[in-house]
Amino acid sequence: MTVIHEKLVDTNAKMRARDVSVYYGDKKAIDEVSIDISPDYVTAFIGPSGCGKSTFLRCFNRMNDTIPVARVTGTIELEDEDIHGNAMDVVQLRARVGMVFQKPNPFPKSIYENIAYGPKIHGLAEKKPDIDEVVEKSLTRAGLWDEVKDRLDESGTALSGGQQQRLCIARAIAVDPEVILMDEPCSALDPIATAKIEELIDELSGRYAIVIVTHSMQQAARVSQRTAFFHLGKMVEYGPTSDIFTNPIEKRTQDYITGRYG
Amino acid sequence: MSPITLILIAIGLGLAGWLAGRAKAWSFQKADANVRLVARPTYHAWYVAVWVVLPVLAFIALWSFLAPQLVMQTVLASPGAEGLPSFGFQRDSILSEARAVATGSAQGVFNSDAEALIEPFREAISHYNLIGLVVTVMIAFAGGAYAFLRVKPDFRARTRVERTVMIVLLLASLVAILTTFGIFASLVFETVRFFGMVSPVDFLFGSFWGPDPMSNPEAADGTRYGAIPLFWGTIFIGAIIAMIVAIPLGLMSAIYLTQYANPKLRAWVKPALEILAGVPTVVYGYFAALTVAPAIRDMAVAVGISGASTESALAAGVVMGVMIIPFVSSMADDSIAAVPSAMRDGSLAMGATQSETIRRVLFPAALPGIVAGVMLAVSRAIGETMIVVMAASTAANLTVNPLERMTTVTVQIVKMLTGEGSFDHPATLSAFALGFVLFMVTLALNFIALRVVKRFREAYD
Ligand SMILES: Nc1ncnc2c1ncn2[C@@H]1O[C@H](COP(=O)(O)OP(=O)(O)OP(=O)(O)O)[C@@H](O)[C@H]1O
Ligand SMILES: [Mg+2]
Repeated sequence: MTVIHEKLVDTNAKMRARDVSVYYGDKKAIDEVSIDISPDYVTAFIGPSGCGKSTFLRCFNRMNDTIPVARVTGTIELEDEDIHGNAMDVVQLRARVGMVFQKPNPFPKSIYENIAYGPKIHGLAEKKPDIDEVVEKSLTRAGLWDEVKDRLDESGTALSGGQQQRLCIARAIAVDPEVILMDEPCSALDPIATAKIEELIDELSGRYAIVIVTHSMQQAARVSQRTAFFHLGKMVEYGPTSDIFTNPIEKRTQDYITGRYG
Repeated sequence: MSPITLILIAIGLGLAGWLAGRAKAWSFQKADANVRLVARPTYHAWYVAVWVVLPVLAFIALWSFLAPQLVMQTVLASPGAEGLPSFGFQRDSILSEARAVATGSAQGVFNSDAEALIEPFREAISHYNLIGLVVTVMIAFAGGAYAFLRVKPDFRARTRVERTVMIVLLLASLVAILTTFGIFASLVFETVRFFGMVSPVDFLFGSFWGPDPMSNPEAADGTRYGAIPLFWGTIFIGAIIAMIVAIPLGLMSAIYLTQYANPKLRAWVKPALEILAGVPTVVYGYFAALTVAPAIRDMAVAVGISGASTESALAAGVVMGVMIIPFVSSMADDSIAAVPSAMRDGSLAMGATQSETIRRVLFPAALPGIVAGVMLAVSRAIGETMIVVMAASTAANLTVNPLERMTTVTVQIVKMLTGEGSFDHPATLSAFALGFVLFMVTLALNFIALRVVKRFREAYD
């Protein structure tokens, strides 16, 4: 069903999804999708609007649990552990699998408190000097430290859109996750802010397993090494980004990336 | 002819104008299919109707004020009026008796002098009634004819009608505003009179409240007009005890409803809470006086507190708190729901639990709205009267013991105004001073609350 380019069974996978389907009520939004996520490469999900990219992405940190009508079947493993299993606490899962949303959503708190939020609730840092350190480290990694170090107690919502999005990435990094899920992180940003985020993704890959949903072919080509093309809830084709963009096997993939539909 | 009859006539003529206007507008289209009306026929109809009704209504308003005076003048000029006393109570009563018989609202007269005036009254009234009727009809026809003649295919009837509607709406909102000003002005006037008799310092800072309506109004005893016990009672019952009940319960129910309740339950509980807000306060008063107050007294006695009375600040405050739970909870509910769901998702995606998300993100973000809700609730609570009258007594008492009797500003206002004192006695006038203070406080609370809510809205738009 899914066309998978050769040699792509991953031995160093951080997360494995197997035959995952998602239903909204009776409606099937994702149909039997299997994929591996690894820190060795950035994975991009592309596909026309409404094909289920966000829905599938939310499976990895069980954010679909927050939608009452959503139901997920199949298995997803994080380090060989079933994320729906009894041994896995959703709070722990979300600490290990961070998420960045389409629209920057800093909390209406200070920049400092935005970053300190995760470490505090997970008890990673209790004392002020420890928290200070986490805040500085996360902001530095997100490339925001120099811009905000003098105004850490200003509200996070007072930053520009691009800064807010980097703040959200810093916030996600602060709990030291293993995976970062990004759902169209640049769609609300201008080209310069977008370039900054893409640079950041580049720097973060290797340390974190990153999945990014994007509508921009160029962005997928620039930042990712693996690309999965979705259409109508199915994963149509999955392979190295360069192959998907230069030698797609499926006609639908080719049509989409050449802009014939979607 | 009463104003009501005239208004009915005006409406009838307006209807006729409506039909005529519409018929004329239609006839243009019938006569020539190529004619395009700028406005739909109903707008032409309304235009004519408005021109019939509004001028007539204006005239009726003027006339119902003018006609009785004209009637009176005519009667006074009649020969029967010569024997009247030149002024005073006697004269007024004779005139009103005669008028009552003339209009048929009384059968006969006590005062024989009035006898002679009945016929002049009757004549004058019917004379001016006729004039009123004729002028009404004339104005209606004049207005209608003017509007009717202007109905043409290219006449912009719609803009005219809409402008009229807008003006009517504007007037309607002015009524509320002007009323507020009127209330305020009368309060200020009477308050100034009161402060002419009792010094504001005695009033605002004195700690004994016991106005005596029977005392000599010329030499008011300022020491009996200390309003501190009333202010304290009001704050203690309305802003302290009631809020200790209403804030936690209201917030918890709002949090439950927005965050935990499933939609079906929410659809059920929310309207139920809102019904609570519609229960008349007298009913809460019964509940406070007959159920809560005795229960509190029994409890106090059971734990060994002697001298607990059946009327207590605690009973009134608790029931008042229950009464305003819906205010607090619906404002809190709205402000929590107004926090973008992206905040909630962001927090949950960080691995925060539902309750951490509520405590650390949703609640702080919604705080301004919640504070505003509480302020509105307080201003409502301190204006509340019935519950206090029924459950906390009318005796002023400066104490911090919630089991004792206590009274509030509003209760004293009622007591002073309905008391035996005459209207220019300081005891009666003190009601206005109390009302003035209450008015200023609630105004300030509402003003601040609305500002806070506005800021809060802007923050998320
Ligand atoms: N909360 C929901 N309840 C019901 N149906 C939903 C819900 N969220 C998404 N869907 C449906 O599931 C399908 C996939 O939606 P999804 O948001 O995953 O698409 P997407 O690929 O992310 O689209 P886009 O590129 O526009 O973001 C759509 O048909 C959508 O209508
Ligand atoms: Mg999406």
